[in-house]
Amino acid sequence: MGQIEIRGLSIDYRKPKSDETFTAVENVSLSIEKGSFVTIVGSSGCGKSTLLMAIAGLIPRARGSIQVDGKEVSKPGPDRAMVFQDASLLPWRSVHANVRFGLELQRWTRDDIDERAMRYVRMVGLGAFADYHPHQLSGGMRQRVNIARALAVDPDVLLMDEPFGALDAQTREVMGDELLRIWERDKKTAIFVTHAIDEAIFLGDRVVVMGRNPGHIRDVVDIDLPRPRTAVMLDSPAFVAYRKRLREYIAADMQSLQMVEDVV
Amino acid sequence: MTRLYLRHQTALSALASFAVIILVWQLAVDLGYVKAFFVSTPTRIAAEFMRQLQTGELAANVSVSLFEFVVGLALAVAAGGALGVLASWSRTFEHVLEPFIWFKYSSPTIAFYPIFVAWLGLGEPTIIAIAFLFAVTPIYANTLSGIKHADPDLVRAAQSFGARRRDVFLKIALPGSAPLLIAGLRLAVGRALTGVVAAELFGATAGLGFSIAYYGQKLRTTEMMTSLVVVILLGVVLTQLLASLEARVDFWRTGPGR
Ligand SMILES: Nc1ncnc2c1ncn2[C@@H]1O[C@H](COP(=O)(O)OP(=O)(O)O)[C@@H](O)[C@H]1O
Ligand SMILES: [Mg+2]
Repeated sequence: MGQIEIRGLSIDYRKPKSDETFTAVENVSLSIEKGSFVTIVGSSGCGKSTLLMAIAGLIPRARGSIQVDGKEVSKPGPDRAMVFQDASLLPWRSVHANVRFGLELQRWTRDDIDERAMRYVRMVGLGAFADYHPHQLSGGMRQRVNIARALAVDPDVLLMDEPFGALDAQTREVMGDELLRIWERDKKTAIFVTHAIDEAIFLGDRVVVMGRNPGHIRDVVDIDLPRPRTAVMLDSPAFVAYRKRLREYIAADMQSLQMVEDVV
Repeated sequence: MTRLYLRHQTALSALASFAVIILVWQLAVDLGYVKAFFVSTPTRIAAEFMRQLQTGELAANVSVSLFEFVVGLALAVAAGGALGVLASWSRTFEHVLEPFIWFKYSSPTIAFYPIFVAWLGLGEPTIIAIAFLFAVTPIYANTLSGIKHADPDLVRAAQSFGARRRDVFLKIALPGSAPLLIAGLRLAVGRALTGVVAAELFGATAGLGFSIAYYGQKLRTTEMMTSLVVVILLGVVLTQLLASLEARVDFWRTGPGR
């Protein structure tokens, strides 16, 4: 049994200005091993964020169950930490104080909180920028702060929702490399949402492919590439084969979307 | 040199137009186009200013008005801030207050003056009450809207770390609304000063508004206008003070993007 067990999960949203509900995620079951790196790909709107936020305990579920270490998830907990796509940093706080934020909220003892925050600021390579404010940082640096904030609270599970989605391709690759370097240290369970196929293969032990209408899991692909992963692998035959396979899924999904829009 | 000129261009043009007005004013009277009785002159006002400074009349008036201003503003900040916070916590409370706020917005505050005279008598308590009434609305409105419109992305991030309602209020809503709170304070400062002077015009025994009314009734234009100039100076200084505070609190919104 995995560390995270999702069974028959469905999530409904209320439609705007009506009492009807709309199913964003339907009948998702997934088992995630402790210490594995799982990536989730799928076209926009297929419920990736919804699934992740449900695991984080931020949104209620309609049916099914989510268990982390055998405990049913009902609200956010210190065993899980989330990295959001857009810089959800407090603009009036410095880099260091932003990393402190999660520690403060989880009521870590006052004495080591500053030092601990600083350690994670350094870990993501921002030691020289500890006193900077978010508006003085590049997009990539802001996401480093975001990641440091999540890691600092020492979660068992790290949930990342397209953390590099707003970055340029170059920065994205560098950030992916660094994320893996940090992850290899203590191999926390990681769930990483992206819509970039290469990123999903490069980072993941397994790639979960989601489709839409309503959001569901189409396939789970085991990525059998050695670690540590390096840029050279991007052109290896195995990688190319994974890429081809995943692209076909996404293309099929886009076609179904096209049909829906044609009908409407 | 050119760059320096450009940087200070607005300040320079403002200063220049100000100097022209002073000069035209002075010359219009000196050359006999306008009687000093109607408008006095800059030199007479300057001389009267020095006289009031030496006799202590100026200090006495300023301190009385400033005292009423500070007390009225402090009460407005306390009451408006507390009500704003409560209303941001409770929908019901916000709705209960709403009619009063609309009432206040759409009615001229100074019309309440006689009621306060009836309740509190002529003089200081009434003046403070009017200043309070003038200043309380922007404090309440800005506190409420600042706290209510906390950035939902930040709230969600905080909740993902297990933030409780109190944490969201103290660590997100309050600091996030600081710029709006200061903006409300800036409005309130101007309005409290207006309230003090207006109330003093009607019934007081000291203060800048009293001085304006007193000399006005005696048709002593120079003395009256001296107090007017002091009121204007006071307003400018207070507003500038708040503007610099605003810039300091707002530093994180001045950068590119966010
Ligand atoms: N708060 C919400 N209320 C109603 N519908 C929502 C809400 N959030 C997302 N949705 C809908 O749920 C579906 C899945 O959204 P999301 O999980 O954000 O997809 P993804 O992250 O894969 O792009 C979308 O159709 C979206 O419109
Ligand atoms: Mg999303």
